[in-house]
Amino acid sequence: MIVFKTFLKVLNKCKAPIILYTIILVFFAGFNTKTSEQGNEFTASKPDIVIVCEDKVEGITKNLVEYLSKNSNIKEIENNEEKRNDALFYRDVNYIVYIPKNFRSDFLEHQNPQIAIKSTGDYQASLANMLLERYLNVANTYLEFDFTEEEMIDKLQETLETKVSVEMTSKLDTDSLYKVSTYYNFTNYCILAGSIYVICLILSSFKNEKVLKRTIISSLNYQKYNRILLASNSLFAFVLWFFYILLSFVLFGSVMWSLHGAFYILNSFVFSLFALTLAFFLGNIIKNKNALNGIINVIALGSSFLCGAFVPMEWLPNTVLNLAHILPSYYFIKSNELIKTIEVFDFASLKSIYLNMIIIVIFAIGFMILSSIFTSKKRKLA
Amino acid sequence: MKNCIEVKNLVKEYKTVRAIDDLTFEVHEGEILGLLGPNGSGKSTTINCILSLLNFSKGSIKIFGKKMDVNAYEIKRNIGVVFQDVSVFEELNVIDNIDYFCGLYIKDKKLRKTYIEDAIALVGLENYKKFYPKQLSGGLLRRLNIACGIAHKPKLIFLDEPTVAVDPQSRNNILDGIEKLREEGATIVYTTHYMEEVEILCDRVIILDKGKIIASGTCDALKTLANIEEKVTVEVLDLPPKVLEKIKEFKNVEEVSYLDNILFITYKKGKNNLSELMEFLKEKRVNYNKIFSERPTLNDVFLELTGKELRD
Repeated sequence: MIVFKTFLKVLNKCKAPIILYTIILVFFAGFNTKTSEQGNEFTASKPDIVIVCEDKVEGITKNLVEYLSKNSNIKEIENNEEKRNDALFYRDVNYIVYIPKNFRSDFLEHQNPQIAIKSTGDYQASLANMLLERYLNVANTYLEFDFTEEEMIDKLQETLETKVSVEMTSKLDTDSLYKVSTYYNFTNYCILAGSIYVICLILSSFKNEKVLKRTIISSLNYQKYNRILLASNSLFAFVLWFFYILLSFVLFGSVMWSLHGAFYILNSFVFSLFALTLAFFLGNIIKNKNALNGIINVIALGSSFLCGAFVPMEWLPNTVLNLAHILPSYYFIKSNELIKTIEVFDFASLKSIYLNMIIIVIFAIGFMILSSIFTSKKRKLA
Repeated sequence: MKNCIEVKNLVKEYKTVRAIDDLTFEVHEGEILGLLGPNGSGKSTTINCILSLLNFSKGSIKIFGKKMDVNAYEIKRNIGVVFQDVSVFEELNVIDNIDYFCGLYIKDKKLRKTYIEDAIALVGLENYKKFYPKQLSGGLLRRLNIACGIAHKPKLIFLDEPTVAVDPQSRNNILDGIEKLREEGATIVYTTHYMEEVEILCDRVIILDKGKIIASGTCDALKTLANIEEKVTVEVLDLPPKVLEKIKEFKNVEEVSYLDNILFITYKKGKNNLSELMEFLKEKRVNYNKIFSERPTLNDVFLELTGKELRD
């Protein structure tokens, strides 16, 4: 009990750097989540066009001009072909529509009048072209029926104003899951850095050679002493993990109550186990407190960059990803990326995630064995 | 007399160096045993072997009649150690540090509280209870180090050079504390290279050199090995050479020197050597400022046995 009590006292003395560190981490996590919009929402955009109409603006011609005006930005350019070409060249406009003389009469008489165009060839120009083709296709369709011009214009307006409601067949809340996944990827850094920093700081006090000598010659069983230290550090690691889980519930709410949320939590729990064993091992071998910041940068920051905690995995070069395979962070982040794509939770879709978790657990067991070898060797000076 | 520690034929070798060479000795219950020797003589290595902090090559060690090893927790319950280096938590204050190290032995909170107060009183840290190690001076830190080692009231205490680099006030306080521990019945093994401390504190002394015991016994018994009885020092401003020659012819005189106005005479044996010298100087009308006599020290014993000073 005295070891645990002292653990809490030493932890309390470390609270200033811990709080400062956590604030920085939480700030970055929050900032990263808020700024990581996936951008998969549709926003209608209007191309910049010029209409050169040589026909009288009435009847079907008037309707065409109105339709184009409504769905695009009409630019006023001097009535000069050279000026219009310049506007196209400098991308002031995307598209120029030339409505020929007698367009109305020729169209109504089924003579298929040709509308000339000039285009920048970009996305906005294609959009303008689509608008024009859509109008002409619908108009040509109604022309086949014996409608008067007025009836045809009414029908055209009705058809062109019809909006289609699109329903996604997938029930995945992709935007929220994307954010949750980004958040949990970021916790790779928070959990690793937080665990290593605090556990190493505390263990460097308990495992200080002089203090340890006094503990070894005491009547407290040395193995029991190490078990108490491991349990105390596990409690800290659990609290740290739980804090990040709570934060995810605060930030994302309902998504976290789903099966997706449960798997994010399970995956981060497994990763926290690994972070604990790694930190415990490092705490047993690191003697210099001043070296801690460097070690955190190399391990936590390094693995976060290499494995895609800050930058999406798909943006990383293959050589980097191949190298990342030797790091447990890779399997943690990979699982997070897989969880967000799962539609049905069955063994086939979860197999890869379970496999990644097993790999992380193997890493944790490895570090645990290394720690116990090291602590038993440390018991005797020579 | 019951033995607290029994060390038999202890050998500790480091590849090519034999740090401890066939040590055999006992520590009796209730005594203070001084382990005296220059740096590197094997004092700390001997203690580390006894405490099972170091493996040893040959020999056997028994404490309280039982074999000592790393898992001998029953024996360890009654041992307290004060290491040469200050071994405390930087993050804990005086009370919490003592509480932690005492708590490794004593589970009962109330009893521990009493023991902590006793330890603080013993080393005189009453006014520094809430101080952190970095706020304490070197001497106060040493006192805290001792309090952490003895707070659980062990029967056997190892004090490894506890007064190194300590101011005179703290040294006196530490020595008083050790006397109190002896009065309370503790057996103490005290290593140092300060002869004065050994002479004040120790019932028996073992002198080590190069890992071997070169002499052991009480301070008085050891001093007889020095082969001198008395050393007299006189501050004389002007000593005629003829007078110096006469002094050299005195009965019982072993050695005479006169350097920088200091006359130094070593007597092999005899009584009233000082009064005879004073009368002779008066008769020869030699004026002197100071004159004093001292008995041989353990350093003289060490010099006699090894041909070198203890602090070499």
